[in-house]
Amino acid sequence: MAYFLLPAWAASDSKYDSLRLYTEALFEVSQKYVWPKQEEDLIYGSLRGMMNSLDPDSSFLTAKEYQQYLHGRKDIPAEAGVVLIVKKNLLTVVSVIDGSPAFRAGLEPGDHIIKLNGHMVRNLTTQEATRRFQGAPHTKLKLQVLRNGEVKPLDLTVTLEPLALNTVTTQYLEHNVAYIRIRYFNNETPGELTSVLKNIRKHQPPVKGIILDLRNNARGTMEDAVRTASLFLGNQKVLLAKGRSTKSEESFQGKDRDLIFKTVPPIVVLVDHGTARAAEIMAGALRDQARATLLGAKTLGLCGLTKAFPLEDGSALVMTVSECYTPKGEKIQGKGLEPQVPGQTPKDEKAQGKAAPKKMTPDQDPWVQQAVDLLTSGKSKRVAQKEQAS
Amino acid sequence: MMLRKSWLWGGVALFLGLALGWSFTGPAAVFGQNPNLPVAARSLSASLFPSPVSDAKLKVFAQALALIEEQYAEPKPTKDLVYGAIQGAVGTLDPHSSFMTPEEFRELQIETKGKFSGIGIEITLKDRILTVVSPIEGTPAYQAGLKPGDQIVKINGALTKNTTLMEAVKKIRGPKGSKVVLTINREGFQKPKDFVITRQIIPIRSVKARILDDGIGYIRLTNFQDQTDHDLQAYLKKMKQRLVPFKGLILDLRNDPGGLLEQAVRVSDEFLPSGLIVYTEGRNRGQNMRFYARAGQEGKVATVPMVVLINEGSASASEIVAGALKDQKRALILGTKSFGKGSVQTIIPLEDGSALRLTTALYFTPSGVTINEKGIHPDVVVEEKKPPAEKSLKKLRDEILTRHMRREGLTDKPWNQPITPEELDKDPQLQRAVEVLRHWPPKNLAQQRPAPQK
Repeated sequence: MAYFLLPAWAASDSKYDSLRLYTEALFEVSQKYVWPKQEEDLIYGSLRGMMNSLDPDSSFLTAKEYQQYLHGRKDIPAEAGVVLIVKKNLLTVVSVIDGSPAFRAGLEPGDHIIKLNGHMVRNLTTQEATRRFQGAPHTKLKLQVLRNGEVKPLDLTVTLEPLALNTVTTQYLEHNVAYIRIRYFNNETPGELTSVLKNIRKHQPPVKGIILDLRNNARGTMEDAVRTASLFLGNQKVLLAKGRSTKSEESFQGKDRDLIFKTVPPIVVLVDHGTARAAEIMAGALRDQARATLLGAKTLGLCGLTKAFPLEDGSALVMTVSECYTPKGEKIQGKGLEPQVPGQTPKDEKAQGKAAPKKMTPDQDPWVQQAVDLLTSGKSKRVAQKEQAS
Repeated sequence: MMLRKSWLWGGVALFLGLALGWSFTGPAAVFGQNPNLPVAARSLSASLFPSPVSDAKLKVFAQALALIEEQYAEPKPTKDLVYGAIQGAVGTLDPHSSFMTPEEFRELQIETKGKFSGIGIEITLKDRILTVVSPIEGTPAYQAGLKPGDQIVKINGALTKNTTLMEAVKKIRGPKGSKVVLTINREGFQKPKDFVITRQIIPIRSVKARILDDGIGYIRLTNFQDQTDHDLQAYLKKMKQRLVPFKGLILDLRNDPGGLLEQAVRVSDEFLPSGLIVYTEGRNRGQNMRFYARAGQEGKVATVPMVVLINEGSASASEIVAGALKDQKRALILGTKSFGKGSVQTIIPLEDGSALRLTTALYFTPSGVTINEKGIHPDVVVEEKKPPAEKSLKKLRDEILTRHMRREGLTDKPWNQPITPEELDKDPQLQRAVEVLRHWPPKNLAQQRPAPQK
């Protein structure tokens, strides 16, 4: 076996040292830990830890999990309706889908889940954690949650349910501004948004602008994003994906016939820390290609393309092999998009330190009001142009 | 529990470093294993020859590592990957086992040694501004005239805006005799002023004391490090001279997360004439140890009536002391149930300066009780004053910080300044302890053997 290992190990001194460090650590644990430990647990724990140290989308799959992965995603009968990531070993809520069971239970973006059904959450990958929030309808999950600004952990109970299907809602605000909310992306989203945009196109008097609310939206694939963005962009570039080698660079775009508007109305895209994946791609594309203004807070920066790699013993790695860039080449993965217009923070003390406000109607939502002001004062375009010039 | 600690330490990030409240929960039994062990040679053979981890499994790991190095979206240093892997492996163990990067390990060494080279200030980020909490008396920072509330605008000319506390601590520390320039903004200054301060060895005090008018002494231990027993002895000696007669002693172990096992034994020994203090049992015989009190040492206070204060923040080493004094019926234990951490961690340095903190044994009180997950139950239950529920975490922290900055905390005052009735009013547990000692021996406590009066 030494001859198998040597090529990988002997590649350089530092690699060799690192591997030696690993075996040293494992040796100490196997010899001295107070309770005997299965070596498979340790190795699989290592692989989980190593994948976690890369990014939240990279994961380790046991042989069984890999088989499930290969047979394709079965429809999820019921779920909590959250997007979670493991960040610095903490299971963190990135977004909570509007109206979902988790939403109604009071879970908020930024919450850390420390206990699940009475067990400490430890050493999970993002994928495993996500699976635990799916299951049969009516399954109850007991969560203990650490929230910024709260002295004590909160106990919440979430009952799994099938997610309501529609992902897009719309309404007209004052001054003929159309407000579109996308809760999350799935393969129905482009179709839903098509009918919404066609209605907006017909609206009389013509709309002054569109507010596209992509806050608290971290679910959706690259394909969903490309198809949805092409409704605004036709066959213009939606994103670039770059991997390890320059050869792996790819650009993605939709079809010209998908385009709804001949002239795209001014757009303000609302983003925040819960904006990730498809929503991030969409925000970056609209900003770069349709002069949309991003308003709110910095996005999460989670936007990679993954691939599975089987290992010798039947287990597998799911690994980010390329990362998203906006059409103009700004890296999204690991960085996030900075909005051109920061959202105003509420001044009164009560609201401060609290995470995203509970569901408000758009008229009560200060960032929506800010967006309406931008669109009606005509500042939106100027901001976007200035950004381009710099 | 984690929360509890975070609110205690979180606001007032000690000069020890940020990690204190979170990482310093376990006694390190065999601190700094013999560094001369041929670590490299041993682990090399462990990996290339029959080892506890089978070759097949190692091969899977090596394959994974190679895949990441070839295919991951961007290059990653192998060392980071291996650190992630070790962290993951240790993550499958109990919650008290962990992996420390070289930086974290150095921090722990400073904490356990009880001294470091620096200028002697506690700092925090107050409203994101690097702020002096308090200069420690007698240190270079104190002599240079730094004051609580001073804002540190620059360290050695570099702006501190957006700095983390850890970075700032690192920059301020340095070798003994070297200089650091702090640019300070203070209310009343026209413009920020430079303070040039020469670094010295700064002791970290883990023992604090006060007295009461009527012959009662109060000692608080904040953790168990190398200097703890030494400092404790010094206070006991001073108290014996000052308090005649020495009618009673309160040992406050509330929110003391623990520390070195050896120090827990020594501290217990100060109060016990003889007998078993604690014993440990591990998987290997080498981890089985028994610790006894030694008879007839100078300075012992083996007969002064004694009350020990504990709460759910008292862990490991604190529980050893409370458990030994309880089992030997040496002290009355008062407060609320302790944390319940009955395991011993050994710090195992790895060859590149990182280290494992590994649970290697469980410990048991003299009567054979494990306190793991059970905790020590007080003889007299007295609840703490609850913070008002409507107050936010931030507000509570700010209040504690402000009190500390104004030197209004119980142990911010000189040790020989008697505790006032107002101070007692704020702390129902301490107040009750004083009452018990004033009416010693306690009635209604069948299990409590009256301690001999002096």
